Amino acid sequence: MGSCRTAATIFGALALSLAGSTLALAGAETETVATTLTREAPVPSVSQEQLSGAATDTNNFLHTNGNYDQTRYYQGKQINKSNVSGLRPAWIFQTEVKESLETTPIVVDGVMYVTTSFNHVYAIDAKTGEQFWHYKHKMGPVTTYCCGPNNRGVAIYKDKVYMGTLDAKLVALDAKSGSLIWETQLADPELGYSETMAPTAVDGKILIGTNGGEYGIRGFVRAYDAETGKQVWNFHTTPEDSTGVWATHDATGKDMHRDIAAEKAALKKMGDPYKTLGGGVWQNPAVDLKTKRIYFVVGNPSPDLDGSIRPGDNLYTDSLVSVDLETGKYVCHFQYIAHDVWDLDSVSPPILVDVKDKDGKTVPGVIHAGKTGNVYVHNRDDCSLIRFSEAMVDQTGMWTLPTAEGAPMLPGANGGVEWSVMAVNPDLNLTYAVNLHQPMTYHVENSPYPGGKLWLGGAFKVIPGSEQFGNVTAVDYNTGKIKWQKKTPLPMMGGVLATAGGLVYTGEGDGWFRAYDAENGDVLWSFFAGAGVNAPPAAYSVDGKEYIVVGAGGNTQIDFKRGNNIIAFTAD
Amino acid sequence: MSRTSDWALTAVLFASALIMGGSAIAAEDIEQKAQLCATCHGADGVPINKTTPVIWGQDEGYIYLQLRDFQKGTRKNALMQPIVAQLERQDMYDLAAYFTKKKWPNLGQPSAPSDVVAKAESAAKSIGCRGCHLDHFQGDGTTARLAGQWQEYLLSQMLAFRDGSRGNNPGMSDLMKATPEDDFEPLSKYLAGLQIDQYLGHGR
Repeated sequence: MGSCRTAATIFGALALSLAGSTLALAGAETETVATTLTREAPVPSVSQEQLSGAATDTNNFLHTNGNYDQTRYYQGKQINKSNVSGLRPAWIFQTEVKESLETTPIVVDGVMYVTTSFNHVYAIDAKTGEQFWHYKHKMGPVTTYCCGPNNRGVAIYKDKVYMGTLDAKLVALDAKSGSLIWETQLADPELGYSETMAPTAVDGKILIGTNGGEYGIRGFVRAYDAETGKQVWNFHTTPEDSTGVWATHDATGKDMHRDIAAEKAALKKMGDPYKTLGGGVWQNPAVDLKTKRIYFVVGNPSPDLDGSIRPGDNLYTDSLVSVDLETGKYVCHFQYIAHDVWDLDSVSPPILVDVKDKDGKTVPGVIHAGKTGNVYVHNRDDCSLIRFSEAMVDQTGMWTLPTAEGAPMLPGANGGVEWSVMAVNPDLNLTYAVNLHQPMTYHVENSPYPGGKLWLGGAFKVIPGSEQFGNVTAVDYNTGKIKWQKKTPLPMMGGVLATAGGLVYTGEGDGWFRAYDAENGDVLWSFFAGAGVNAPPAAYSVDGKEYIVVGAGGNTQIDFKRGNNIIAFTAD
Repeated sequence: MSRTSDWALTAVLFASALIMGGSAIAAEDIEQKAQLCATCHGADGVPINKTTPVIWGQDEGYIYLQLRDFQKGTRKNALMQPIVAQLERQDMYDLAAYFTKKKWPNLGQPSAPSDVVAKAESAAKSIGCRGCHLDHFQGDGTTARLAGQWQEYLLSQMLAFRDGSRGNNPGMSDLMKATPEDDFEPLSKYLAGLQIDQYLGHGR
């Protein structure tokens, strides 16, 4: 036995020295990471100034949601209502991974970065679709995630791209060659932590939240040093006193049928549930560079459906939250649903935009589309609610409490609006959301905290034979009125891009990718991509020519046809 | 000697070997350790009976968690308990890494007829099985592959989750409780009959 172990140790040491970028990972063997380098990508360093000026930079698409405000409004006009009917593929890149695709392509000076399910990263020539390099993350054995093995994209800063992984790591890659620079374990995947979101790069920090509201985690938003990967600050999305104000009605004034007396009695018995309360943060925060604040929305409490073991409002789940960019300290919050037992949480990224307040005065605002199916409009200063929109979807039976046998309610548990990102046209004062109509029954069951296993507290069931569909909806955020709405044959999941060419782009689960007239919703162009277009589109320019790009790879959560395409379009 | 006491004796010998040999398994030892697993799970990956699951080609995190849970007692099984009793955490990782690389055997179970498929698909779409088990029921990470597993084993596990006798995944228990009783046999037959070799390895 002894000699065998010595031999193994020597072999291990040799493997370490030969492999180059080898990392010892807690609880597993020493592993190497794989980058296929076709040729180096000619990327100069991306400065903070560039990142800050992204909104007007029509060459590049530097952020997952276009810019720090997250408007997803591309200011290029070359492709517009008059020529969009001529949009055609310039190139199609096929990744190695035929699985759920939610990535927003990031483009810098003609180099495009996309991520796939299972944490591959590709650097591609944005003009020709040819590969520069391909990084394949060496995944640890334990991955515990919700809603598909997908990834929503990289962040880029200086000479590195950053990605969160399914095994709860944050990796930094050399943008030129794809080689691994550093890797940080964010949390224990065995406890249900995971990453599917794209990080945000700002002020030398990488901001990231966490997956895990279906597993009894304690959610967070953190900042890591972009150079070293060391944690700078942590904000827990579930504070030690999570009980709140015992709100009985939601943000739109509907009664949620809480039994406050029972909850207070439960609180006395079991104490504050904050440690396993959930509160994942699914997507990028918006960054207000003037006030040095970030705004993000927090996901559902754990377990999703069973409120009996988590008494109180369950702060800050289902809330808009703002924290200080430098320190991560709490600034303000607004809770949409206190003590949510329906998983109708807050996942679509908030957008910073000037809005009219109740008196008609223009103020800095922040808007968010909830799984409830309403768009919420807030005052950025104190997070207070100014208005909420007309319901974009059927809300029949809303806040019917889940039962053991299953109680029907609309919206279904995917919303409303799911994680799908909105886009804004600031000239029209319109925000564009994609919706789902999926009748479901909500079932509740009680079980204790299961130490990192799936913990739904019940089940959501699609009602067999029921009609499902989706919408693309334009909402005026200054009035809350729906300006136009176009029905789609399938529930929508993915995201929207709005452009100064007067267009709105979004894709559908059967493969259709369309351009709509931003003013009235007329379909001006359609393309059948061969797999579900369930990723947010992006836009950029190379050598003076504008491109629209989108991923077509389907979706796991809603089981849309899988594929492996990144498709770039031009209008000539 | 009865079968059970054969295994019990082997388990005791194995456990003793581990105690004498020290903790973490070195590269050559893993083959030795895996020999014991072969006695029930099959030297060629085909288990000795239909209530013993295929582990060859199973998802790595899932194998690890089952070994861990058998040891913790959150999953109860009289045969597995003595086997895992002496395993260190690293042993569990090593065994999971070893078996996940093997090829899942073809058990030769028939594809389900169309009426059974229809019932199974309706049940699967209702509860959203593919949301975790993925589109070919190949699983990933800590979520099990179901495709091509023993029909009897699949059925017994779904029912065990349902009545709580398998207690190491409350989320699964909830989902099975919300599933009507007559959905389970069609589901097990459908899943058992799936051949998915051509869908594997696309980037994972």
